[in-house]
Parts: sequence; structure tokens; C-alpha cells
Amino acid sequence: MRSRRSIPVAALAVAALTLAGCGLGSGEDTSAGSQPTVDANAKVTGEVSFQTWALKPKFTSYVEGVIKAFETKYPGTKVTWLDQPGDGYDKKVLSQASAGQLPDVTNLPPEFALPLAKQSLLLDVAAADPAVTTDYVEGGLTAYQYQGLTGTFGYPWYLNTDIDYWNSTKFAAVGLDAKNPPKTFDELLAAAKIMHDKSGGKEYLMSRLPGIGDFTNAGVKIVSDDGKKFTFNTPEAVALLDKYRAAYQAGYLPRDILTQEYLGNSKLFTQGKVAWTTGGGNAIVDFQKDNPSLKGKVVPSPALDTPPLYVQGLSVSSKSKNQAAAIALARFVTNAENQAAFAKIVNIFPSTKASANDPYFSKSDGTPESDAKVLAFESLAKAKSLQPAVISGATNDFINQQISLAIAGKVSSQQALDAAVAKADQLLAQ
Amino acid sequence: MTVVTEPARPVAVPDETGAANGRRRRRKGGTFGFNTVSPREKVVRYVLLVFVLLITIGPFLWQLSTSLKGSGEDIYTRIPRLLPAQPTLSHYAAVADTIPVWDYMRNSLQVAVLVVGGNIVGSSLAGFALSRLQFKGRKLVLGLFLATLVLPGEVTIISQYVTVREFGLANTLFGVALPGMIGALNVLLMYNAFRSLPVEVDQAAIVDGANVWQRFVYIGLPSVRGTISVVAIFAFIGAWDDFLWPLIVLTDPDKYTLTVGLQYLSGTFSNNPRLIAAGTMIAFIPIVIVFATLQRFFFKGVEEGAVKG
Amino acid sequence: MRYHRWFSPWVLVVPALAWLLVFNLWPSINTVILSFTNAKPIGGGTFVGLKNFEALLHDEQLRYALLNSVIYMIVCLPFLTIVPLGLAVLVEKKLPGITFFRTAFYTPVVASAVVVALIWQWILDDRGLVNGMAEKLGVISGPLPFLSDQWLLLFSAISLTIWKGLGYYMIIYLAALGNVGRELHEAAAVDGASAFRRFTNITIPGVRGTMILIAILISVSALRVFSELFILSGGNGGPGGRDSSVVMLIQQYSQGFEGNLGYASALSIVLFFVTVVPMLALARLNKKAADA
Repeated sequence: MRSRRSIPVAALAVAALTLAGCGLGSGEDTSAGSQPTVDANAKVTGEVSFQTWALKPKFTSYVEGVIKAFETKYPGTKVTWLDQPGDGYDKKVLSQASAGQLPDVTNLPPEFALPLAKQSLLLDVAAADPAVTTDYVEGGLTAYQYQGLTGTFGYPWYLNTDIDYWNSTKFAAVGLDAKNPPKTFDELLAAAKIMHDKSGGKEYLMSRLPGIGDFTNAGVKIVSDDGKKFTFNTPEAVALLDKYRAAYQAGYLPRDILTQEYLGNSKLFTQGKVAWTTGGGNAIVDFQKDNPSLKGKVVPSPALDTPPLYVQGLSVSSKSKNQAAAIALARFVTNAENQAAFAKIVNIFPSTKASANDPYFSKSDGTPESDAKVLAFESLAKAKSLQPAVISGATNDFINQQISLAIAGKVSSQQALDAAVAKADQLLAQ
Repeated sequence: MTVVTEPARPVAVPDETGAANGRRRRRKGGTFGFNTVSPREKVVRYVLLVFVLLITIGPFLWQLSTSLKGSGEDIYTRIPRLLPAQPTLSHYAAVADTIPVWDYMRNSLQVAVLVVGGNIVGSSLAGFALSRLQFKGRKLVLGLFLATLVLPGEVTIISQYVTVREFGLANTLFGVALPGMIGALNVLLMYNAFRSLPVEVDQAAIVDGANVWQRFVYIGLPSVRGTISVVAIFAFIGAWDDFLWPLIVLTDPDKYTLTVGLQYLSGTFSNNPRLIAAGTMIAFIPIVIVFATLQRFFFKGVEEGAVKG
Repeated sequence: MRYHRWFSPWVLVVPALAWLLVFNLWPSINTVILSFTNAKPIGGGTFVGLKNFEALLHDEQLRYALLNSVIYMIVCLPFLTIVPLGLAVLVEKKLPGITFFRTAFYTPVVASAVVVALIWQWILDDRGLVNGMAEKLGVISGPLPFLSDQWLLLFSAISLTIWKGLGYYMIIYLAALGNVGRELHEAAAVDGASAFRRFTNITIPGVRGTMILIAILISVSALRVFSELFILSGGNGGPGGRDSSVVMLIQQYSQGFEGNLGYASALSIVLFFVTVVPMLALARLNKKAADA
């Protein structure tokens, strides 16, 4: 999956709305999303716009094929396809939303869809098309259902998860076996110690600071049931943070990771500086493309504990002038047949229940790439969204800052987590 | 009241030719003695130049070498390896195959020309008026331009978008260029450049009956060519490198500028850094051309810009 | 008496003024209004009075950010006003290949942030170029934490800013040097003045106006630093966010769909007042020097 965090080149900010643009005090009803005004069985015809995120030019022929099939199936329809560049997508969608110009059907990850749904800018697709709730896997659907809002605000599209990747050469050098890698966090710590001790402190296994996902995995409850308070400053979370802290102080992790960016661990893995990273089913292809010398040295294994679930979906604008065609298009693009075809050209996975039995995803041809795909597919069954959608970018930043402060040894784990919860609550209340 | 009251100006240099303007002599005297460099000084200069070069050129070289590295070659090594082991130009061809580079470049060029033109005209007019004409409110206007440098610009991008959209310029290249067409910094640079022209030149021109426009065109402009080329460079690079603003203004991919279009080289599921590096190098070429061409003019102003009034 | 009609200057100034009002001043007024609200990027907001400004007083991170910004300015100011001038003098003389050098010195200004980050991490990380060399020379016993210590990270970012600024300010000086009377140099050279004396006695006074303008630009951009600290701190302001700058805080608060534009705008306004101080001081200095 692509990084959510890109490096802005200049000090350009995310967005303010002018008063002219949106008006203050327009926060009328935010209790529910928009109900569709047309019956989903209405005649599907006319023009409809469709926005994807960074699929051109690699998947141009795939997307065009799907669009053509749609136009053939529903004569009289015309789809305008827009593909937005990878960087700055949030800002682009934001400017579209604030100008009231969201395309009819838009690819939105769940955390983009939430604020738009809150402002009644997205349709509850389940109300228009009850089949949504039966055709798609639960993890995909729940990603588009939010605390405090009634409805499902997107058709789940493709799914992905993370698995572990190990550098077998580095494992062998310290007498470890990459074919039998650590399976729990404690085994990981033990292996990190061996890696450190046997290499005289020259090699590292781990290179990632813990985050909200790791707390979820350790059984920590992140948000209260009513979604109004953060609750992750528990003894379990403190204990986990203490373990990382001790490992960092003992030199088992590179010192500079305190200021590594989000995807720093996979970068260090590619550079051959560390022996472990996590990544999607497709990540192995990238490691080997960037550094071909890694070929044959990367061994995948299932993620420790519960794997994270990443969901992409197609949402329908509530301001769409052609809701019938928009809903039909979103459903068509995400149907089992089209998703399966998509998943066969890149390592992602369909969100439709019907695809679960496709042997393509569960049989490996023996290559590490294919192994990674099968592992990721098997992991999907138990994958869960580990990071609640209410955690905004700013909140996430503050939490990470406090975690790295604790790991650096400047404050205790308890102090850091208390501070992070206080700040997160404050931001949530705003 | 005198025409030029700006007190901050260099002392006019009375030299043996008696001209108030220190520039006059060079027309006769050429560059006597100034560009002759002793061999020892030459060595010292080149040593220093190479030293600074080593400090500054790193990112450029890395980018270049990455773009030339073969697909079978590691990019992210522990120690940066600058010489490609399997050099290839194939990534450049691949960039041209993947995206319509020429179309994007033409769009970028249109925006850049508008921005450069707007800045040269707008800021030299304003800079001239502010530095060489006395009028009520001059100080206030000058203060406004200065204040613009420190105005909070962090949260204004969407409100600019709304403005441009209200002008009916959303999804147009003109809309992309518009906000950057006159920059406060450039006005201040021009103001500063005009200010360093000795007052006596203006006085002489006024005696000869030159009006404001004639003084601007025949006296002012020729002597600030260096700064105009700096303004042009800044404006060009600003317009050429901008990513977020054109992304927000443009919806139609046919109108994308090069920086936005180059994003198509990095896809959702995987990137090839060699390809991206090649794309970046292509985008870099016009900047080099513009810079190398314009930096020649830094000194022309002095060499040719004598008084014609 | 006047030598121009009253409206002539205005005709020349109006286009630039119009741009300034529409594209700079108006959005800034908007920022001021937003700072009294709890606006979000979509869905608007309501007036909350001085609440955002009260919150600023208790913002521990803002204190770190302000301190960082001021240190940034104090260190950058002397370096970037003087070194690029020296550089401009160095590349001013026409020597074979000088165009190449001038262009090369300017490349850091346009280098992509991603590549700059990569290169600087190579130079500064625990096993990077600097630590490697220093250890070989025996200057240090263990690697210095350039990228993880609060203060070392700040100074690493400052060196990055200075490195990027060299070429930028160099070309402004280069154009200004064109205006310095060369006769003075020649006369002084004939009189036997050393190169250093010519630099301090002729070059510097000759570009004084430019120098003040550049000093203003440096202090403004140092106080508004963003990308260098962002890059080197992994986008997160370092442990505890103690290596944030004010602009990083503004970015952090305003990012995404749920951004807190009210608070971000209030931060913008604080930053405005902080940047005005050195600017006014330098402008005053300029006036004094000019009057003298």
C-alpha cells in the first residue's frame, strides 16, 4: 500500500476554507448521512464521473475495460474517468468537497470517507442497495460504518494486509533460521537480542516504533465504546512500551529510528540495514526491484498476532445528479468478477465474499512472490482494522511523538501515554 | 521637491571622467585589469570552486546516477554508489512511453511564461515607482509589500482556490499561473535594484525633458537587467516546480503541468525509483537551461547599461 | 515641484498592488477571522472568541517551536548573509567553466525533498559519512546522534537550511554585485589594498541595501522553517515533538479533513507577530545606515 504520508516540498498547508467558500456555522445536521433520493432500480443511463487514486498508467487498460463493460451493460451511460496522482490526494478531495464538486463515484479510503459522511456529502449505499450487506466481507463493510452515523458509506473495493518479511542472509549469519522466524512479539525481541549480540552490535532486526496498531494487538482498548474518549493508557500498553524502551536502550534497534518516517522500516530493510520489516503482499516485488541483490534472500511469513486490514472503497456523492448510474457503477466496479480480475494483475485482494474460494489466491506456484500472496490472502481471514478511523492525522502525530519520547528515555511510558491520551481527547473534543 | 528622495543609495562615484555615473567609464575603458587573474589566484579560485561544488552537487549526482542505473542494480546501498554498474538510458525512454512528457512540458511552459512575464512587468513597474518616484502613500505601499513577506500564508491555499474559481478560471492553465503572476518579493528585489541607480542620472534625464515612461524604459530598465534575470529565474522555478497548487486547480489530465504529470510515474502499488529519477531529471533540464541562459545577464546591466538619456 | 503627474506612480504600482490585495491580503484577513472560530476544512465552524488564543498559552509544544525558530534565525542570519556573498564574489569573475559552477551551486535549491532527505541521512546517521570519518580520525569514541538528539537534530536541520540557502542568496548577491562600481575595486587594487580589505570596504558597502533585504528574507524564512525540520525529523518533530517549528505545528493541526483550522490560524497569527519583530528591526537598521 502506498504511504499515507508524503513529504511536502514546500511549506504549503492543508487548506482553509474561505468564509465565502463554505460559510461559518453551516454544521447543521451531522447525525446521519444522506439517504438516496432515487430507487436503485431506476433506469441506469446518462453521464457519470468516476475518480480513482493513482491507477494510471499501470492499470489504464484494466479500468478502461471495466468502464467499457459497464457502458455495454447499461446502454446510454457514459463514464468520465478521472485518475488523481498519488501525492496530495487528500488535499485534492478536500478542495473538490469544499467546492461541492465531488465526482459521482470516488475512491475513498475509510478515513477520508468518515469526515465527508459526517457532512452528509456521501450516500448511504446500503440504503440504496441492500445487497451490499450480503455480498461483501464484513471487514470491508465495517470500515465504512462509523460510530455515531447510520449507514454504510462506500462499496468495499480491494483489501490488503501486512505480512512479515525476513532477510535470510542476515538470519543465517547469526545462526538463526529465516524459515522458522519469530511468531510472537516476545520471540521477536529474543531474536533481536541474538542478532545484536552475535553480530557485535552491527546488525539490527527491528526498526519500528510501536504504534496504535501494536496496542490493539496487545489487547489494549483504544477508544471508549461511545467513541468520545481515548483509553489506551492502560498497564498493558505501558508494559508493551516498556519492552520496546528496554530493547532500544540495549541497542537492539537503530538509534535513528526515533526520527524515521512512517515507512522507514521497509526502507531500511531494502537498504539491507535491518533484517525484518512488514509490508503488503506486493512489497516483496518492490524490495527486489529497488535492490535486485535481495532476490532469494527475502522470506515472507504471517504477521505477528493479528494482521492489520487495509480497505479501499468506492463512495457515491450525495450531490450526484445521476445517483442511479453512480450506484450501479460503484457496484459494477466492485463486483466479484471485476475485483478478481484486478487482483490477478497486482497483489491485492477482493472484498467480495464470492472471491474467497478462488483457487488463484490460495495456491502458490512456489516463488517467494507467490508465497507472499498466499500468506497475505490467508492472513486476511483474521485481519482486523487495528487503527480506529477517529484517529486523525494530528492525533496520530501526537501519539507517535509521545511514544518516541518515552523510547528515547526522556519520560516514563506511563507519563507518555497519559500525555498522548490527554492530547488526543482534547483534539477529539474540538 | 526633488524627484528622487530616497536617501538610501550608493554614493555616486566621482571619477576622473567627471561623470556622476560610475558606469560611464567602462564603456571606454572596457574591462581593463578586472578580468585578468594571476595564475596563483586562479588556482585558489578553482580549489574553492571545486570545494563548494563537492558540497552542493550531491543530490543532483545521486538523482542522475539513479536514473542511469540498470534494473539489475541495487539503488539503496549502504554507501551511495554513484557510478552505475549497468548504465542505461532505457528509463528515459520509459518515461516518454509512460506519460506524454511533451504535452505536460508545454503546459508547464505556458504557466511559466505567464508567471515570468507577469513578474517582470508587474514588479519592475512597481519597483520603479516605489524607488524613483515621490508620491503620497509610497511608504505605505512599500510597507504593504514588506508586510506580505510575513503574512500568514499557511492556511490560505483553499481560499485562493475559491478566488480563482470565482474568476471562472478553475481547471485552466491561466488559473494556475494567476496568483503567482506578481510576487511581493520580486517587487522588493526590483525596488532595491532601481534604488542603487544614482539620482543624478534621473536629474540629467529630467533636464533633457524625459517623462516617467521614458526614464523607466531608457534609464531604469537597462541598468537592472541583472535583477530582472534573478526575478525571471525565481518566477520560472517557482512556477515550474509547484505541485500542490496546479493539482488543486486542474481537473483535466490533459492540462496537467509536468510536476503533476510526473506523479503518474509513481503508482499505487509499486514504484520504480529509477524511472522517477529519470522523470525528475527531465523536469530539471529546462531549469538548467533557463538558469544558464539568464545568469549571463547578471553583468550585462553594468557593461551596457550606460546613460542614454 | 514634481516631475510627473500625480497618477503616474499609481498607474505603475496598481497591478502589483491589486495582486497583493487579492492573493495575499484577503486570504490573510480570512485567516484572522478563522482564528476566532473552530472551523474545519469542510463543514465550517462557529465563533469561539479567544478560546484558540487561550489554548496557545498552555501549548507546551509552541514554546519548543518558538525557541527552535529563534535559535534557527540567530544561527542562520550571520551565515547566510555573509557566506553567499563570498560565494557570489567567487563565481563573479569570468573563468572557464564558471557557468557550470554557478548552475551547480544553485542545484540544491531545486533538489527534490525526498532526495535531499536520503542524502542527508546518509551523511548524518549513526553509520553515516560524518560519524564514520570522525570515528576513523579518532575525534569521537561513539557515533553522535545527529538525527535523534533534540539539539543535534536542530543543528543538523540548520546546516541543511544553510546548505540550501547558499545558492539562492548567491544569485541575488550576484545581480547586486553588478551594480557595485568596479572602478573602486580597480582603484583600490592599484593602491595595493588586499582582497579582504576590498571585500570589507568596497563590496559590502556596495551591496548594503541588498544585504539588508537578504537579512530580512533569511530571518523571515528561518522563523517559518518547515521542510528541513520536517524531513530530518521524519515528519514528526522528533521525540515529543520538541524539534517542531511553528509552521510544522500549523501543518500538523490543519492537516486532513478533520484539521483544526481555527487553532492553526491562531498559530499563524502568533507567527506573524514573531516575524514582524526582526523585520522591523532590520528595516530600521537600513534606514539608520542610509541616513548616516
